[in-house]
Amino acid sequence: MAADPAPVPAGIPGSALPGPWPVGAYAAKLRAELRKRARLQLFGEAWNLRFTPVRVWFELRDADGALPCAMWREDAERCGVRPGALADGARVVVGGGPDYYPGSRTASPAFSFHVTELRVAGEGDLLAQLARLRRVLDADGLLAPQKALPRPALPRAIGVVCAETGKARDDILAGLARRGWAGRLVWAFAPVQDRHAAPRITRALQDLAATGAVDVIIVARGGGSLADLLCFCDETLCRTVAMLPVPVIASVGHHTDRTLLDDVAAVSCSTPTHAAEAAVTRHVGESRAALRAAAASLDRHARRAIVDRAHALARLSGAPGRYVRRERERLHQRLRELRAAARRRAGDERTHVRRAATVLARKAQAARTARAAEGAALRRRAEALHRAPGEAARDRRRRLEALAAALTAHDPQRTLERGYALVEDAAGRPVTSAAAARAAGSVALRFADGRAAACVRPDPDATEP
Amino acid sequence: MDTADHPTQPGTVPGPSPQADDVSGHTYETATARIEEIIRRLDSGEAGLRETLDLCREGKALVELCAAELDAVGRGLEELRLDELVARLEG
Repeated sequence: MAADPAPVPAGIPGSALPGPWPVGAYAAKLRAELRKRARLQLFGEAWNLRFTPVRVWFELRDADGALPCAMWREDAERCGVRPGALADGARVVVGGGPDYYPGSRTASPAFSFHVTELRVAGEGDLLAQLARLRRVLDADGLLAPQKALPRPALPRAIGVVCAETGKARDDILAGLARRGWAGRLVWAFAPVQDRHAAPRITRALQDLAATGAVDVIIVARGGGSLADLLCFCDETLCRTVAMLPVPVIASVGHHTDRTLLDDVAAVSCSTPTHAAEAAVTRHVGESRAALRAAAASLDRHARRAIVDRAHALARLSGAPGRYVRRERERLHQRLRELRAAARRRAGDERTHVRRAATVLARKAQAARTARAAEGAALRRRAEALHRAPGEAARDRRRRLEALAAALTAHDPQRTLERGYALVEDAAGRPVTSAAAARAAGSVALRFADGRAAACVRPDPDATEP
Repeated sequence: MDTADHPTQPGTVPGPSPQADDVSGHTYETATARIEEIIRRLDSGEAGLRETLDLCREGKALVELCAAELDAVGRGLEELRLDELVARLEG
């Protein structure tokens, strides 16, 4: 459904200018005129690169001016421009011409340099300058002093340098509330973007430190391009912060942007909320609970140190009595055992003596019996002895007679008596051979009635055996 | 049972500081660290009676110091502008 065209209003009374004309028609005419301008190449630093599904936007800047640029996404990718490919400040050469989007009642108009070609020519001058300044600050030893400053975990007073209006202020309050911190907060408001910002921020930091009433200072700014954050790369500001006796926590831009203030500050955080949490490193409520627990523990230890020892002393004081009782019971028990043992021993002795007496009685009886038997035997032997001499003499006499008869039978005298003679030498030894007789020469002949000397003559007929 | 004080060896076990009641040199961090050290020592059961009592006295002084610090940052947010602070300090 097409709306009825509004009637053309009357012009400005007294104006010499023609019109009025509808703005849409003028915007379309302007675009046509701009597109007629010569297409050419420009160079500068690309900043604030932004990608949409169909377009790529960035700003081309140098020290004297800047131009908003737009590319079709497919042209950008053909030229190697993809998300992350270009850092802010990269030096580029672009080719194209001016263009104008006329907009409408529901869409904002926009002027841009329509880029169809692009070449990356190197790191931008600005980034190179920042890198050089960072090296100078480092060489001067200014990146370390802030980091060596002691930072209280629970600062009583916190100074904040930020814009009076803006999200950073609210974020800091939210971060402090998250820690349960409710101390003194000193605001030092200052512009955080433009050429006046750096001196004002420097002055605010110096004033806060000069009061001696803040324990830590937060410098905060919300997100922005590195170009917007250049005031935080100011050399004077950075040298001032480096020499400040109060620790400074920087929270400038986002984590993708790193300013020189981030380098010289004690701590660098990506957001103001994190900066607040870095300023108050402990949760106040949790710290209070931990302190209560520590106090209770100390009380418990102090109480136990005394009570436990008192109990121990009480136990010790009762120990001698217990020991005496225990010893007495032990002695009584020993006594009972001794008595029982003595009784047992006496009974055993009695039995033993009784048994020995019996054995002795038996042995005495046996001795008496043996003595009687021995007496009888002696008597019998005496009687035998009494009878023995006559018989024995008779026996011996009979045996002697038999022996005498045997001897008589063998007596040589008996042989001599029967007529035989025994030849003996001069010594009376028997001469039992003819040779012995000849050798002896003279011999004696013994007869039964006596001896007779004889001489042995040699016999010529005799032969030597 | 331990009824006598054991001498503590410097550098190995924490004993009571020479001035157990003087905790003025402590910050919140050093105070809480010392409290934790004291409790570890007490929990070990190695401290004698005298040392235990000294450590408890020192610990309580440190707890009071920390409590004062916590009170200072917990009694209510006070927001000041820098010029207000300067005026208050000068006044």
